[in-house]
Amino acid sequence: MKRIANVILGVVTSIGGFAEAGSLSTSLQAGAEFGFALLWTIPLAALMLAMLLEMSGRLSALSGRTYAAAVRDRFGAHVQCGMLVVELLLDLLLLTAELGGVAVAVELVTGVAFHWWLVPVAIAAGMLLWLGTFAVIEDGLGLLGLVTLVFAVVAWRLHPAMPQIAAGLLPSKPTHDAASYAFIAVSIVGATVSPYLLNFYASGAVEEEWTERDLWSNRITSFAGIGFGALVSVAALVCAALVLAPQHVKVDSLEQAASVLNPILHSWGVPLFALALGIGCFGAAVEIALNAGYVAAQGFGWTWGANKHRLETARFSVAMTLMLIAGLIVAAFGFNPMRVTLISVGIAVIFMPIVVLPLLVLMNDDRFVKSHRNGPIGNAALALLVILGALLAVVVVPLQVIGGG
Amino acid sequence: MELVRDVLDKLVVDRHGHAMGRIDAIVLEWRDGAAPLVRSVAIGPVPLAHRLHPRLGYLVGRLERWLELSERRPIQVPFSKVDVKEMRVMVNVTAGETGSNNVELALRAFLRRLTWK
Repeated sequence: MKRIANVILGVVTSIGGFAEAGSLSTSLQAGAEFGFALLWTIPLAALMLAMLLEMSGRLSALSGRTYAAAVRDRFGAHVQCGMLVVELLLDLLLLTAELGGVAVAVELVTGVAFHWWLVPVAIAAGMLLWLGTFAVIEDGLGLLGLVTLVFAVVAWRLHPAMPQIAAGLLPSKPTHDAASYAFIAVSIVGATVSPYLLNFYASGAVEEEWTERDLWSNRITSFAGIGFGALVSVAALVCAALVLAPQHVKVDSLEQAASVLNPILHSWGVPLFALALGIGCFGAAVEIALNAGYVAAQGFGWTWGANKHRLETARFSVAMTLMLIAGLIVAAFGFNPMRVTLISVGIAVIFMPIVVLPLLVLMNDDRFVKSHRNGPIGNAALALLVILGALLAVVVVPLQVIGGG
Repeated sequence: MELVRDVLDKLVVDRHGHAMGRIDAIVLEWRDGAAPLVRSVAIGPVPLAHRLHPRLGYLVGRLERWLELSERRPIQVPFSKVDVKEMRVMVNVTAGETGSNNVELALRAFLRRLTWK
């Protein structure tokens, strides 16, 4: 019974934790510029992410190792240090975007410019990192994140035409601005398949001491949680397509999308948009900083764990705090958080094959996954993902220049 | 046992199960006309950085000395005290008798001062 309750909690918190600066920005931009035409990218990206999370969860449950630790064990110091640099760089950019997202959310409610809120937001994130257990951070923020379901409620109340939605779920040629269409499509993949999620999910599995008996719950949590979570992105895109596109609003900043809920929620629209954006980004910011501590500690063999006292895991605690401070410093330069988000998802796409490729080897090594190796379908899907990631990595920079605005 | 596959880069714990880091290098002794002898395993940022690039190893070593963290480091444990099980290495010493906790303890002391504990 306890396991079933844990699975339900895992699925619910996955839904609440899905939306953050990257997924919301790209979905809103896609809907505002191309209506329902880019809808197909969200389920595709969600399927990729669910597959990767299921594999990293399986790896942890069977080997007792996180992804970062397994990479060091299997591939040695050079690969681990290379991946660590890549992951920390990505985490830094994503963290900057998320901190900016929270600060913009507070600006929308208070009217005080977002850069004034960066330090208080970082302090709040730091306090949660230092005082919270893994359950508080993961489940607490995931449950609060259910406020992002406001997009689903509004999308439903806007009565979208189902045939149009069904047509959007099939890839189609763009009617205008093909470069921008392709760029946003790639950005949605990059925003959804965030590399940090692989190790964060695996670390959660080790924190919660998953074993072989948890494999079924891992499968349900990853596929159902991400599947339902993706509905929030779908709903945000639908809202933008029905509200922003007819007004020819081009979403260049998060503030421009703030009115997306107004037709249904009226004066509550902007505050609830801000609340959803703020909680989603805050949760992601805390998780990203925590993940920086995880990858460093696991790679170098330090004592780690969000459930341990922070003074007992000093190197781990300092690593995540330094990441938070670094994110704050970059964010303090006052870049447009949406621009940072789009740059970070572009870079995430470039490095995605490098981050994912070792997983293909690990999931076929019985020293790590025992008899639960990937089958031909899993391997084919993962190989396809690596190839697709490599192709996207090649096109993302030209697309960012031509279609990124 | 295959040294690179089973020992190098693996997590290492002391005889009480306390984490000491990872095996960052293996020290071999070259002997004329005989197979090399595995003398010890090395743990710590200096051997790790040296593996990545000798210049980096030199710089990390200088940083460690500047921060006064170099006492009993780099940690070298005789290979006779090394036991390998399921990709984990156990060494028959205690972490405290080596310098493996120098950075952790220094940071703990710093954090305690910072948090008035």
